[in-house]
Amino acid sequence: MTPPSQELGSHLITLMAALMLVVQMLLVVQKMLLAGIRLFALQSLLLAGIAAAAAFFNHASEVYVVALLTLAGKVLFLPWLLNRQVRRIQIVQEVEPLLGAPTSMLVCGGLTLLGYMVARPFTHLGRTGSNTLAVAITLLLTGIFLMFNCRKAVTQVLALLTVENGVMLAAVALTSYGMPLVVELGVFFDVLVAVMVLGILVYRIRETFASMDVDKLNQLKG
Amino acid sequence: MLLAILIIPLLAGLLCLATRSRAVWEGVHVAAFTVIAGLAAAIAWRVADAGTVTALGGFLRADAFSALVLGLTAFVALVCSVYAVGYFRRESRDRRVTKSQLLRYYTLTPLFAATMLFVPLADSLGVMWVAIEAGTLSSVLLVTFYNQKTSLEAGWKYLIIGSVGISLALFGTIIAYSAAIGVPGMEAGRGMNWSALAPVAGQLDKTAMRLAFVLVLIGYGTKAGLVPMHTWKPDAYEQAPAPAAALLGAGFINCAVYAIARFSVLADKCLGHEFPGRLLAGFGVASILVAAPFILTQRNFRRILAYSSIDHAGIMIAALGFGGPLGALGAVLHMVFHAATKPLLFFGAGAVQQQYGTPYFRKVSGVIQVLPWTGGLFFMATLAVTGMPPFGIFQSEFTILSAGMAAHNEWTVALFALGVAIIFAGFLVRMSRLVLGAPAPGQARVAECPWKLGAMALAALVVALGVWLPAPLGALIEQAARILEGTA
Repeated sequence: MTPPSQELGSHLITLMAALMLVVQMLLVVQKMLLAGIRLFALQSLLLAGIAAAAAFFNHASEVYVVALLTLAGKVLFLPWLLNRQVRRIQIVQEVEPLLGAPTSMLVCGGLTLLGYMVARPFTHLGRTGSNTLAVAITLLLTGIFLMFNCRKAVTQVLALLTVENGVMLAAVALTSYGMPLVVELGVFFDVLVAVMVLGILVYRIRETFASMDVDKLNQLKG
Repeated sequence: MLLAILIIPLLAGLLCLATRSRAVWEGVHVAAFTVIAGLAAAIAWRVADAGTVTALGGFLRADAFSALVLGLTAFVALVCSVYAVGYFRRESRDRRVTKSQLLRYYTLTPLFAATMLFVPLADSLGVMWVAIEAGTLSSVLLVTFYNQKTSLEAGWKYLIIGSVGISLALFGTIIAYSAAIGVPGMEAGRGMNWSALAPVAGQLDKTAMRLAFVLVLIGYGTKAGLVPMHTWKPDAYEQAPAPAAALLGAGFINCAVYAIARFSVLADKCLGHEFPGRLLAGFGVASILVAAPFILTQRNFRRILAYSSIDHAGIMIAALGFGGPLGALGAVLHMVFHAATKPLLFFGAGAVQQQYGTPYFRKVSGVIQVLPWTGGLFFMATLAVTGMPPFGIFQSEFTILSAGMAAHNEWTVALFALGVAIIFAGFLVRMSRLVLGAPAPGQARVAECPWKLGAMALAALVVALGVWLPAPLGALIEQAARILEGTA
């Protein structure tokens, strides 16, 4: 393990993490569902790249499994599943957020600052520095914001998946050898099942309400 | 033994999936959960002797606290399986459910039970997270069981709010894991195992642990139903069929509190008690105080149970927050008494809703004249759950209040007591009219279902016995409290 290659790896990971953040911002202001799904796939591809880079430069072969799982699950399978879902229930309609694009951007900028502030004390942890952790926290926060901002079922699923991407990024950023494999597999499996169950619900909601607007889910009170 | 208790429910679920007869489903369910309850008791016995029991090279591990939560889950699952027989026979007779819906219940419930039994047995905090998330996923379709607009709404909220919460918990778990990097002996992923972390908790990175604890508390707090992440709870508890709601409200809640308790032990050792203690006490008391007005003005006797569950989650978390030997003992006692009492309350509410076809207080009164046994036990459960002496919950709440006084949290204790008193009054006023009021004219006594009544009698027996704790159970509770206190 030579120092220069480690430094290169660290730069590469930071760069890809920054790109993940850019994709997240695009996703927040994105209005078309299908484009949103593609952006999520792109973001997951970057995550897979980060995992592969971390595995290569830290000589942690277990992390390759993470990269492969991400590639198979989040870059290929889930986008395919969501795409099929969107086509099957025939929605091309645009996403109607509560806040418009400029305000959303402003909020996300604020959340990014917050993410960096939370991550600052962590410079001594993790080899890729606190930058990647800051991006992870920002993905988490903006994902939750997206969930509240967009009241459409499929967008909420996408938002949840970006939160999940943030958590996985933190796992790579904070530990050089990744999580234990059994945990990694379990988390991966849970995410897949979660999206499938959400898919069943989206389909049923669509059938019963003739809409995917989560705002229609407002009968239960008190 | 630890492995068997996880495999039996899975096999039972598969067996139900493969058969088409309702009688077989019912038989398999009751038999499987009887065996599981026996196994849980045997595990508790061994743990009381040996301290810890492990299997699969330490992947599964049970200490006194795990064994206790395991036993409580097994008890709740057993009484629910008996009650479900009567409940679903009535539902099919009234043509409210189809056979495919029944199949869904009988295959998903064992799966759900298996995940709940897995939670206390997982040594790795990451695996514990996976089990809790799997529990959420396997119970979503139980919440949407009746396929109505409202059940879809409840299921969506349950899954989305729960998933966001649980992502935060995973984030917290990862940060706690990273806090162990650099501590000797923590290589190769051992830093996620509770048994490896607990002895070295004092050496963990403090900044990381602080952030980790906040995230975990919010994350698992969502699953426990702490304010302000509680909004899914009334919807889910109202919409799920009564036996499934009882599993959620008496079983799953313990899993979430269990996870928070495990992390609070680590945080206490790492950061000292002040920071985690204040957070826990704050969230706990806030939950009690927010639940109180909703109980006072509640119109729906299924939803009132959810607010009661928010209140009790708050009480357990506040007990952890007060800390010290009394706080730990109070938290464990409250977990035991709550799990013992809550199923009875859900069963009573379910039986009344089936008889009257409505969940609203104003449409039902004088249950005791129409369903004397059910009404009587329902009322007893109300008294027990609101902390009337001599029932167990009075004992645990009193212990928790003493813990608060011992920790010199007078103001918090005062708010705690105020909340509990309001809830007591609100519950009693509503329930006494429901059970003891004058029945609608022309309503005669009807025959009660032996299965439902049997389950309620079994649960009531346990509630009544709460006054007198058998010595082995008492010893197990003390051992578990020592683990929570961090001295074991």
